[in-house]
Amino acid sequence: MIFLIEYDRHAGRLVEIKSFSKADRRAAEKLRLQTELQLNRYGVNHEIVLLEAANKEALQRTHRRYFENVLELADRETVVGNR
Amino acid sequence: MPGRGGMSGQARFPDSGLSVKLSRTQIDRLGDRLRSAPPSEDDLVLLDEFRRSFGPAYEIVVGRVQELKLAPTGRPAKSTPSVIEKLKRETIRLTQMQDIAGCRVVVPDIVEQDRIADSLVAVFPGTPVTDRRSNPSYGYRAVHLVVQISGIPVEVQVRTLLQHAWAELSEKIADVVDSSIKYGQGPDQIKEVLKVASDAIAEFEALEYNLYGLKLDDKEVELKQKWIEKIEERKKSLAAICDRIKSNLEELKKRDQVVR
Repeated sequence: MIFLIEYDRHAGRLVEIKSFSKADRRAAEKLRLQTELQLNRYGVNHEIVLLEAANKEALQRTHRRYFENVLELADRETVVGNR
Repeated sequence: MPGRGGMSGQARFPDSGLSVKLSRTQIDRLGDRLRSAPPSEDDLVLLDEFRRSFGPAYEIVVGRVQELKLAPTGRPAKSTPSVIEKLKRETIRLTQMQDIAGCRVVVPDIVEQDRIADSLVAVFPGTPVTDRRSNPSYGYRAVHLVVQISGIPVEVQVRTLLQHAWAELSEKIADVVDSSIKYGQGPDQIKEVLKVASDAIAEFEALEYNLYGLKLDDKEVELKQKWIEKIEERKKSLAAICDRIKSNLEELKKRDQVVR
């Protein structure tokens, strides 16, 4: 699956996530650019990125920063719990 | 590879499927503009087109990584803020950037990490391996490979769970506290404790590596038990370091209200 993510880095907050099938790659790319252009017009500096993973759970494991806050990421169970 | 020969200035990325060919000069000028001013709409469109030209190479690499029974998360194109930050931070030209497209694999431990890195080199012979475990970049530890497909670079990151946990935390702190933390700057109470955490993970993984190397004969059973005890100790100290990081972050939040 392809995920289009809008992330507010400064706030550390996921603004929006949309999913696409792999067959819709072009549509996802097009929407990524459109979103970026639109935000740029309003002077909004968000990160707009496409990521591709087997499913949302896999994405949340490899790109946790988009989904968890800083204290969650620093949590001892999060870091060493699975070791 | 962009920026290192192979491109004479025209007909860039002939297999990319793009209707408009981008020249190296055009892209490097774009990089110069992005470095010095907020992007215009035309520049965002051009940057998008440049990044999309990595698509075919990216898909080949991700496909081959999946054939190794791995589950990579792919990032076909580096985000605009990341591209701009890198241009501002380094003297690199846009066509020299090696991580425009890439993917990430997270594996359980350092032994598996070595095995995967070896498998990737076998699949992509001649690919240089950057081992940031022995030579961390401001605490960041991982193994990176830059695969070349018809001269187009695609980065593969291989991280252990612990290296990944550290990297995600460091990135997030850079987002919400201070972006320079990733490059050895920022508030001391965070910078230092991240360094301590990175070193503790390195020690933990070195112990684990030694443990896996032991044979299970009688002589080494006792030794194995000692290694296991040491690993458990390191795990506890790592958990304590996490508590310290949390407490320092909470302290910063109270004082400056910058931590989100």
